[in-house]
Amino acid sequence: MSAVPQNQQRAYVTGQAADARVNVELETDGMTLNIGPQHPATHGTLRIITRLDGEQVISAEPVMGYMHRGYEKLVEVRTYPQVTTLINRIDWLGSFANEVPFILAAEQLMEIEAPPRAQWIRTVLFEMSRIANITLFLGDMGVQLGAITAVFYAFRDREHVLNQIEAATGGRFHPNYDRIGGLKEDLPKGWVAETKSAMDKVRRFCDEMETLLLGNEIFETRARGIGVIPPEIALSYGLSGANLRASGVDWDLRRDSPNPLAWSEVDWKVWTHPDGDSFARYWVRLQETREAAHIVDQLLDGLPSGPIMAKVPRIIKVPAGEAWVSTENPLGEMGYYVVSKGDLGPFRVKIRTPSFNNISIVPWVMKGVYVPDVITILASLYFILGDIDR
Amino acid sequence: MPELPGLMKGLGVTLRTMLKPAVTTQYPRVKEAPPTRARGVIALKEENCTVCMLCARQCPDWCIYIEGHKTKAPPRRPGGKPRTVQLLDRFDIDYSLCMYCGICVEVCPFDALFWSPEYEYSEPRIADLLHDKERLGEWMDGVPEPEPLEAGAQAGKR
Repeated sequence: MSAVPQNQQRAYVTGQAADARVNVELETDGMTLNIGPQHPATHGTLRIITRLDGEQVISAEPVMGYMHRGYEKLVEVRTYPQVTTLINRIDWLGSFANEVPFILAAEQLMEIEAPPRAQWIRTVLFEMSRIANITLFLGDMGVQLGAITAVFYAFRDREHVLNQIEAATGGRFHPNYDRIGGLKEDLPKGWVAETKSAMDKVRRFCDEMETLLLGNEIFETRARGIGVIPPEIALSYGLSGANLRASGVDWDLRRDSPNPLAWSEVDWKVWTHPDGDSFARYWVRLQETREAAHIVDQLLDGLPSGPIMAKVPRIIKVPAGEAWVSTENPLGEMGYYVVSKGDLGPFRVKIRTPSFNNISIVPWVMKGVYVPDVITILASLYFILGDIDR
Repeated sequence: MPELPGLMKGLGVTLRTMLKPAVTTQYPRVKEAPPTRARGVIALKEENCTVCMLCARQCPDWCIYIEGHKTKAPPRRPGGKPRTVQLLDRFDIDYSLCMYCGICVEVCPFDALFWSPEYEYSEPRIADLLHDKERLGEWMDGVPEPEPLEAGAQAGKR
């Protein structure tokens, strides 16, 4: 118990509070502003409840689940070959990357490994889906800040990559190309040369974006110093991917986790930026797209020959056991925890998607920012709605 | 800000792009050719189908409906026993449900199902997307020959 009488204590606190407010008579309760859930520009639905004090955000809370499709439950009643066609649709802009960790987990349980050619082609397509995904971000960030030209360039140049993915897999957005033990079929003739010219176009697009947005004063003013996430906060909220690397944390699962894919065979670099603001997130993703094009080029040069399918029984039964495999997807760490009881289908699958964690930092990072910056931060965090809700 | 060199550089990109021809295709008048492997529509070669139901069972959203009956066929050699064959009565694919995964085409052990890159079969009524076996058979005209593979591929085995 303190020695100060309670009424005196209360008067002191009220007095302090009154002093703190300069314009008591002008003060209002604040306003609740709903951002979303529907907007014509979004491919999905996300609602952010922001509490405003004038132009400033007091609190922001993302409401997720509008697009929950129950994949974890759906895959329980499907066989292993059927699962890949469903999980294609989690992160729909870089769909091929969704298949890979699941297939790797199943292969780990079955103790088979795909032949080297299959692993290299997997890595090529993985990086191409990263390019297809992040290319759109590079343009989309511009459109969120009011520069509408960039997004049309992004759609134009993403098409070159998607055409190549379609030529190899048969599906523009939903490849369903990965099989347990290898790939569906080998690449068509002339694909390597065409992909290389597509990679040249991607590099040209990156240069274009650099002159169009990165050097633009308006863009810099809107993005620099906005939504700064320090590295320890980023780590404690479980951010991954470019959002984490933009905070200066040198962490990339492609390099850091042991996986059978071919990233260790080629020479590349993990890009980080010390600032942790929206500009840094854009910058890191731009460099990553260039790096991905570089990885694809190197892999295509050294593509080994041989079979693309290991010896796999016709009816796939995965032995009982548990496996966790995660890879560095376009948006961050994506992992599958597969529990098998020896049946045709998985017993339980836990899907860890990067966007869910990346969006969870919104209440922290949006405290005290101004309303136009909310859009900048949301755009720079870059999430796919299907990836949040799955 | 005294001047806007960055903005000017960006406008240079816009100007350069403005002078290039448009890359968009005016769809109904100009058609884009999909790649050979494109999963457009599933074609059915009816005489190869043995009503084994593998495709219908493996379909992830169960959008293939098959009915058939057993019948006697004349023997292969004169004087032999009449054979029992399965005849297809109904083979429907509901394209309003189909996810275009291609599992049915892959599991078919008798090569009765093929992918065709045709894509122009949208309908004003959703019920019309249920293609029966005659309609699926018509798609066989558009099925391309298997294309050659990239260098280094092992031919033959999938």
